[in-house]
Amino acid sequence: MAKSLIILFFITLFLGIPVAFTMGIAGLATILSFETINPLVAVQRLFNGIDSFPLMAVPFFILASELMTACGLTAALLGFANALVGHLKGGLGHVNVLVSMLFAGISGSALADAAGPSAIVMKMMRNAGYDKYYAGALSAATATIGPIIPPSILAVIFAISTSGVTVAGLFLAGIIPGVLLGAALAITNHIVSKRAGYKGRDVRASRAELLCALYSAVPALIMPGIILGGIIFGIFTPTEAGAIASGYALILGTIKRAFTFKSIYLAFVRAAIITSSVFLIIAMASIFAWLLTYLQIPQQLASTIEGITENRIAILFILAGFALVCGFFIDTLPALIILTPILGPIAYSAGIDPLHFGMMLILNLTIGMITPPVGPVLFVIATVGQLKLEGLFKAILPLLFAEIVVLLLIILIPELSTFIPKSLGYSH
Amino acid sequence: MKNIESYFVLINRIFVASLLAIVFLIVIVNVVGRYGFNYSLSWAEEAARHLMILSAFSASGLALREGRLVAITLFPDLLPTKIQLVLRWLIVITMFTFMLVMTWLGIKFVQFGWNKETMATGMSRGIPYMAIPFGCFIFLVQLAFFARRFTRFEFEFESQKTKELGAK
Repeated sequence: MAKSLIILFFITLFLGIPVAFTMGIAGLATILSFETINPLVAVQRLFNGIDSFPLMAVPFFILASELMTACGLTAALLGFANALVGHLKGGLGHVNVLVSMLFAGISGSALADAAGPSAIVMKMMRNAGYDKYYAGALSAATATIGPIIPPSILAVIFAISTSGVTVAGLFLAGIIPGVLLGAALAITNHIVSKRAGYKGRDVRASRAELLCALYSAVPALIMPGIILGGIIFGIFTPTEAGAIASGYALILGTIKRAFTFKSIYLAFVRAAIITSSVFLIIAMASIFAWLLTYLQIPQQLASTIEGITENRIAILFILAGFALVCGFFIDTLPALIILTPILGPIAYSAGIDPLHFGMMLILNLTIGMITPPVGPVLFVIATVGQLKLEGLFKAILPLLFAEIVVLLLIILIPELSTFIPKSLGYSH
Repeated sequence: MKNIESYFVLINRIFVASLLAIVFLIVIVNVVGRYGFNYSLSWAEEAARHLMILSAFSASGLALREGRLVAITLFPDLLPTKIQLVLRWLIVITMFTFMLVMTWLGIKFVQFGWNKETMATGMSRGIPYMAIPFGCFIFLVQLAFFARRFTRFEFEFESQKTKELGAK
């Protein structure tokens, strides 16, 4: 039965049916074929899958980044990054990395970054004479920092799909890995730029220019502080932090007179529609995930893996390899919802910290966003930059290598994920 | 017909944006109330959750129109155009059938939950459950309006994107 569920899922997936529906259709068909299961279970999962207050951080962080972009703060972040690192070798490449890291403190999604600041820097890089495929590949790679540095939509979804972790704890766990990822991409950019002879801007930004750029960017730079500060000191929950971030952007845009009624209305419409596409996947995937549990797939997989090894690191490597392969073929969000309840219990019973496992899985599946055949971030960049996927994939290899090195570090050194949340009292 | 469709889309958009705005206000008022007035609304969390679910299902048809329901078209794109078109219509029929079944099961589910109460507000569970048949039904209407354009990748706003993705 499990086989037909999975086969049906892949058939509908490769026929080009929207991903959300593939899981719903495969799930419903399997449920209907069982006489022992009440078909109302499908609807119940559909509802309960998204009936969660922590999950509501997702629409609010989407709303916040829509409003921030509408009031011109993304451009301000870009100006600041350019003044800070634009003069270095491969300067715009470093700007690309830095602006993604800064933007990641506002937005929790790689796709938002890819379609927003990354796409803008990609155009700047091309105008400055960078190879268009390298510019595209770097923009795709830097976009993956979005869901690692808090806030993170993937962290929210992981936290609600498993036990033993809080959204706040996972947000904190992402700080060091996110910075490492940025550093790894910056180093790679340095090496590539040295070889290709990409220079930075001719004159280093003067102190006055830097201060001026900083001044415009301050409102955007404060936002991550509000979000993280509020969560760390227990003033509000991550969901409330998302709402407050949206409220902050609304007030800021109103003071700056950057909004019209229409632009606010459109930001709400867009946020509602993007949320719907995310929630639909979560709801449908929870039908699918429920069935996998019902069919005892996690137990079967667990006994298989435990038969191979009992070494903690070895188990983590097996899980990571499994997730990486799944990430090639399944979109990040459904993969996260399906894999968390399957792989999580195996990791926990082997004594792996849920924060450590969570960071590994999130980073792992995020890397899957820039690998073919199913790499949504790569698709966005290819579309925006009118680039061929094959060329992009070739150009992204060194950057992908850098990201995998970071993944290995995250797997081998649990403290990279657990140190900050534990020292702030967020171990489970 | 075109007119009815554009009004339907407009109302749909206003509806989901308003729901999100209401949810946003509920959560903000609750935080401000907790710190400013030492008072929080017991029903706030539940209401926010259920309205968000309603918004999410009600906006699914709009997400379809904007090409935001991501699909993998790598393999179908290798097929000749005519067969592709047939395949796209099959996809429309499959999605329609699925959502029709979901609407029907959703109504059954509302009936099932009618005599049970929710945790915080104590209203009938059937009321929030209505989000599913209601949202699925809106999706069916939007799909019926949009089916022909869906088969040709003529999405709104985010238009062309998905088609180009497939082409490359």
